[in-house]
Amino acid sequence: MAGGDGDPVAGHKDDHVAAVEAGAEPPRYWPLLLVGAAVVPGALLFFLGRWGDAPAVEAWRTVCLAVVVQALPFLLLGTALSGAINAFVPEGVFQRLLPRRAVLAVPVAGVAGVVLPGCECASVPVAGSLISRGVTPAAAFAFLLSAPAVNPVVLTATAIAFPGNPAMVLARLLASLATAVVMGWLWLRFGRAEWLRPVVRHTGHREGNSRLDEFRRGFQHDFLHAGGFLVLGAIAAATFNVAVPRSVLDTFAAAPWLSVLFLAGLAVLLAVCSEADAFLAASLTGFPPVARLAFMVVGPMVDLKLVALQAGTFGRAFAVRFSAATVVVAVACSALIGGVLL
Amino acid sequence: MKRSLQAGLLVLCGLGLLHVSLFTDLCLRYVKEGMRPLLIASGVVLLLLGVAGALLDRGQGAGDGHGHDHSGVPRVAWLLLLPALSLLFYAPPALGAYTAARQPAKAVVHDSDFGPLPRSSPLPMTLSDFTSRVRQDRGQAVKGRTVRMTGFVTPGDGGSWELTRIILNCCAADAQSVKVRVYGGAALPADTWVTVTGTWHPGGTLGTGSAAVALDARTVTKVPRPTNGYQDALPLG
Repeated sequence: MAGGDGDPVAGHKDDHVAAVEAGAEPPRYWPLLLVGAAVVPGALLFFLGRWGDAPAVEAWRTVCLAVVVQALPFLLLGTALSGAINAFVPEGVFQRLLPRRAVLAVPVAGVAGVVLPGCECASVPVAGSLISRGVTPAAAFAFLLSAPAVNPVVLTATAIAFPGNPAMVLARLLASLATAVVMGWLWLRFGRAEWLRPVVRHTGHREGNSRLDEFRRGFQHDFLHAGGFLVLGAIAAATFNVAVPRSVLDTFAAAPWLSVLFLAGLAVLLAVCSEADAFLAASLTGFPPVARLAFMVVGPMVDLKLVALQAGTFGRAFAVRFSAATVVVAVACSALIGGVLL
Repeated sequence: MKRSLQAGLLVLCGLGLLHVSLFTDLCLRYVKEGMRPLLIASGVVLLLLGVAGALLDRGQGAGDGHGHDHSGVPRVAWLLLLPALSLLFYAPPALGAYTAARQPAKAVVHDSDFGPLPRSSPLPMTLSDFTSRVRQDRGQAVKGRTVRMTGFVTPGDGGSWELTRIILNCCAADAQSVKVRVYGGAALPADTWVTVTGTWHPGGTLGTGSAAVALDARTVTKVPRPTNGYQDALPLG
């Protein structure tokens, strides 16, 4: 193959020299250029194919595609819900449902996360549309953080993954809620509106437009937008998933504090869906329970694909600050609550 | 991004999902069987959304004077083309020996309640069952029994290899593997699916954590790859 590749290039050079020497005979030079144009992309595709079929790259492609395929239905649910909230829910409904004082609205919104069954991909677009419908950002963020971690589907999965250990389910519920509420309050105290990308695209229902049409357009826009960021996050997560062998984990299991930080970091890098992370946490048997709790609290709130999704919805300045703060608060909450309960 | 292109992208994503979930079994390489209805539903929704967009928004460019601005779909949306085309034309294979070789074996669920094994010989078993019998069954019921298990080959070193299954909890990103070391039998290439019969390979104390999860192979036969490879199922036939 290498020889076959080299020949046209060499021939091409000779011909080029000949054409220059001959002075005014460019046509002789063109057929070879055409041949080159035909051979080079083919060879490129061939080598790309060869490279794409190496075991490591195949595993990478499989994991990458698996994250996307697994997350798409939930992303679709979330974007459909956000489109529906935008088109069908009248202005002011959420303000009436939530307490007027933002300090109280935050915990209420955090607990309301129970109603959204699904994993973290669904909650980002929904939180975005809540903000555009007039919900105070702090409350929407509490909802964003708590929804993927405290809904019945995820808690059931946790109970199944840790049989005979209800304290773990309770600890996960409490630590996730605490993190969500603390983050909401922190946003009230320190958050700045200019970190958020101005939410202009959602304007809710307008007179004269068909609500159904608005729903469809909002749905389509949100899905395409968030889907692109989902793929970006999946690529990053798959890279870490394949590049870091699981056997590295055991070296960190010994020191308790290190192991908490390490599993929290791992949750960010692996980007496992919140419905599945309990099973993975249960399998990390070498680690102390508090570290595994941190894995399950951090995972649904911050991971590579979520940061990408948040950057797309709320802006990069927000996603970086918010995610960094969330990791710190989540680790602290799991250490405190896990230390008491486990 | 033009509206017609947006619609095309949605249709491609929908077709990709339907291709792997409805028309073929390819989705079982990435997610669990239970996700299939959700994938089919998502494929249909995306297809309808795309077709509706193509029909209803015909002749409208991006950023038409529609009143509110839904047209600002950023270029990052093009990334959706990668999974869509990959699902349609270039679907990667299921995870196999490469992944399993780089993972420690999945921890066995703690189980102390072992009933007697069925009388049949060779006895069909799953790899997880065999592992927990070897490591935890104080009654040593597996001692002297000929068992039969199916999995794929993960090459090892020193004349042995590992009979392997990869198990998913949710999707291929959280794959875990169960492995049984096999002594004897021909050296087969990685990822070959085989059914092995044999007896426990002595090492450590049977029924405790020190026992080797290993098998002395009597026969090794190639079998076709099962449709759903990501479960620890009993050997067929």
